[in-house]
Amino acid sequence: MRTLWEVAKLAIQRQLTYRAAALAGLVTNFFFGLLRAAILVALFGANREVAGLTIQGAITYTGLTQAVIGYMSFFGWYEVMDSVYSGEIASALLKPMSYFSFWLAQDLGRALVNFVLRGLSIMGLYALVFDITIPSQNSQWLAVLAAIILGWLVSFSWRFLVNLAAFWTPNARGVGRFAFGLSWVLSGFIMPLRLFPEWFVRLCNLTPFPSMINTVVEIYLGVLDSHAVMKALLIQSFWVILLVAAAHVVLQAGTRRLVIQGG
Amino acid sequence: MSEMIAVSDLKKHFMLHRHRPGFIGAIRNLITRERRVIRAVDGVSFTIEQGEFVGYLGPNGAGKSTTIKMLTGLLVPTSGGLQVNGRVPWRERQKHVREIGAVFGQRTTLWWDLPVIDSLELLMHIYHIPADRFRQNLQEFRGLLELDPFLSTPVRALSLGERMRADLCAALLHDPTLIFLDEPTIGLDVVAKERIRQFIRHINIHHGTTILLTTHDISDVEKLCNRVMIIDRGHLLYDGALEKLHERFGGKRQLIVDFGETYGEVHVDGAHVTERVGTRVTYHFERGTVTASELIGRLSNRFRIRDLEVREPDIEDTIRRIYEEQLLARE
Amino acid sequence: MRSAFLTYFRLIAADVRAQLGYPVSFLFETTGAGLILSMFFISLALVFQRFESIAGWTLGEVAFLYGLIEMAFGAMDMIFSGFDPQFFGGNVRRGGFDKLLLRPQGLTLQVLGSSFVIRRLGRIFQGIVIFVIALSMVELSWTPVKILYLPIVFISLICFFGGLFIMGSTITFWTVESIEAINILTYGGSEMMSYPMHIYQDWMRRFFTFIVPAIFLNYYPALYFLDKPALQDLPSIAPFLSPIAGFGILFLALRFWRFGIRHYQSTGT
Repeated sequence: MRTLWEVAKLAIQRQLTYRAAALAGLVTNFFFGLLRAAILVALFGANREVAGLTIQGAITYTGLTQAVIGYMSFFGWYEVMDSVYSGEIASALLKPMSYFSFWLAQDLGRALVNFVLRGLSIMGLYALVFDITIPSQNSQWLAVLAAIILGWLVSFSWRFLVNLAAFWTPNARGVGRFAFGLSWVLSGFIMPLRLFPEWFVRLCNLTPFPSMINTVVEIYLGVLDSHAVMKALLIQSFWVILLVAAAHVVLQAGTRRLVIQGG
Repeated sequence: MSEMIAVSDLKKHFMLHRHRPGFIGAIRNLITRERRVIRAVDGVSFTIEQGEFVGYLGPNGAGKSTTIKMLTGLLVPTSGGLQVNGRVPWRERQKHVREIGAVFGQRTTLWWDLPVIDSLELLMHIYHIPADRFRQNLQEFRGLLELDPFLSTPVRALSLGERMRADLCAALLHDPTLIFLDEPTIGLDVVAKERIRQFIRHINIHHGTTILLTTHDISDVEKLCNRVMIIDRGHLLYDGALEKLHERFGGKRQLIVDFGETYGEVHVDGAHVTERVGTRVTYHFERGTVTASELIGRLSNRFRIRDLEVREPDIEDTIRRIYEEQLLARE
Repeated sequence: MRSAFLTYFRLIAADVRAQLGYPVSFLFETTGAGLILSMFFISLALVFQRFESIAGWTLGEVAFLYGLIEMAFGAMDMIFSGFDPQFFGGNVRRGGFDKLLLRPQGLTLQVLGSSFVIRRLGRIFQGIVIFVIALSMVELSWTPVKILYLPIVFISLICFFGGLFIMGSTITFWTVESIEAINILTYGGSEMMSYPMHIYQDWMRRFFTFIVPAIFLNYYPALYFLDKPALQDLPSIAPFLSPIAGFGILFLALRFWRFGIRHYQSTGT
């Protein structure tokens, strides 16, 4: 456990050295958030509320989606496949630490820094500029926290799983690009899932992607009643268990392949 | 004999932002930064004539690659005079670059994903090499460098030795009058190194190409160059013939002897015993005090010798001595 | 000069050949990219079902803007691949720019020839489909002037985005780490221009009229093509300034690029 914390701490340190990047990132987030907000507001037009979503909720949504990009490495994460291709994985597998946990700890470090530096700062900026939705009850904050943690775990397990394609194909990057692209579309990142037709939402719910973003958003905005919140958290947990199990199975198959093939 | 390279009081200074190490340092970096001036090249002067084969030595960070970058036109000097082939390299980049060649040990000048021969043909077009001249040169080089086995292989799939040979061929196809070789034998095995050295020597002798060889490997220099320049911390410490270098500054030489049997007392006049492992004894001796053959003679009169080796002091040692010598000269 | 262009085409041909050398990969990536990108538009179309218009523009009219941007950006992304700031920044840091400085060829053409990512065709095709759908949804009254002007708008857009790419890449000469904010220029700009500009706040619109003339490249010409009433409030020349805006930005970008190269040669990597 101690080593996991050391790994996380190193990852935090690395992230903190990029100060200009942090500020530039904030500006970028704000620009894109504004852009998406303008589009949603224009869509709403004269309507005060659509499908349970208010204009205020829609604007807050654009800030939230920007906030999650950083800590969920939403635009792509290729480090595991890079380490497979470079052969680094051989030495990592020799270490007395679960390979999955090793990367989990690293991602935790990175996620924590991103959450504070990028996530909280963009929400803070949004709170200053706009009149955004803020959860009123403590139970809601607790649920939000749970959803964030679970959402991150779902995201990490999915990213890890996708990276394992490197054991089977030399073009895992292409697979990754497609798989991550899919998560942008089906997670409610482009538009709030509530605004989509029923059949599309049902399709998305067959995938783990809404558990990454849409669940966090909806719990935060308070558009779900307490039953729905519990259900959403349970669904997140289900995906976490499923994906983590899948990751371990696939990793074992992959490393066996690696050993047979000789890298 | 025309001057190929003329450098006078060349200087290159860099500004560096320091990143503080450690966890607390990382947080402090978010607030302020430190600045420092690095004098990579600090007043270097030399001239190189056509046809010379010059070795350029120095420890890491001494200013070697900075000098080469300025000579090739990649970097603009902070001050000082610099002329190659009568041109200021960075001012007339394309014209300058057309007449020189460069090989960097660390990275390739070829296209990563293309077969070697495709890269070479692209270079033929880029350098405007007449087709028959290209064929002629290619014929000569592919024989000397044994390129045929991998001419159709993409550069990324080549071993280090193969890539180096391909880069050498590429650098010479357009008949440059001057080439820069930056660590061309680094990371290669003894056989590969020798093959490359032979090729470079051939080019210098038969094509009259002026060569500036930057290297860490003193045996490269010993086997190829007639003249050596040593740079350390931005200053030129030595510029002259290689033999004179050892004569003037060479520190203690080593004589390593494998005796036929274990002797008790192995002392000999003119040398110190610095190490004894079994039947192997290492002696250190001063160049001026006694010659190697004298020492060997004295030893073989008294002892049975199975094998021996004479070693020159290593370059870092010599450079340190030269530096100290400069200091002494200034006092 | 002629030989420089020939070499450029040879470089591109070599790169394309290398990419097509993996046909399965290429097909998978091209269709994959096209599919994902088209789902962005499909998302918009699906959500649009709940609303009638976006600030007075129908889905078809938005698709006109959107499709035009996708086609132009995709084409630019393919042609100017060498100047993609993400690619260029990494290349410079690895010493790849030194390689170009050592060759007796113009630098701009070398960078253009250094990459030609053919899978961007996916984006272009997706843009064409959206644009064609747009044309079928709106009632465009075609005139000879409109037919002649449309390709000019398209090319001006390519030049505009290309200029943004070049500016983004030049900035990487100064930054040690890659700066995310460059994405605002490239992807932010294109996303913003895919929607009618009057949905944005005044200050944003003023910025994109007077500082970065994006409004002349897509929105004003669209008002003209679609015969929108808002056209009446503008000076009559406004929709036809797209080539000036596009080539102007490209020209400025190239000047900045020259400046960046000089800086690189003074400081090295």
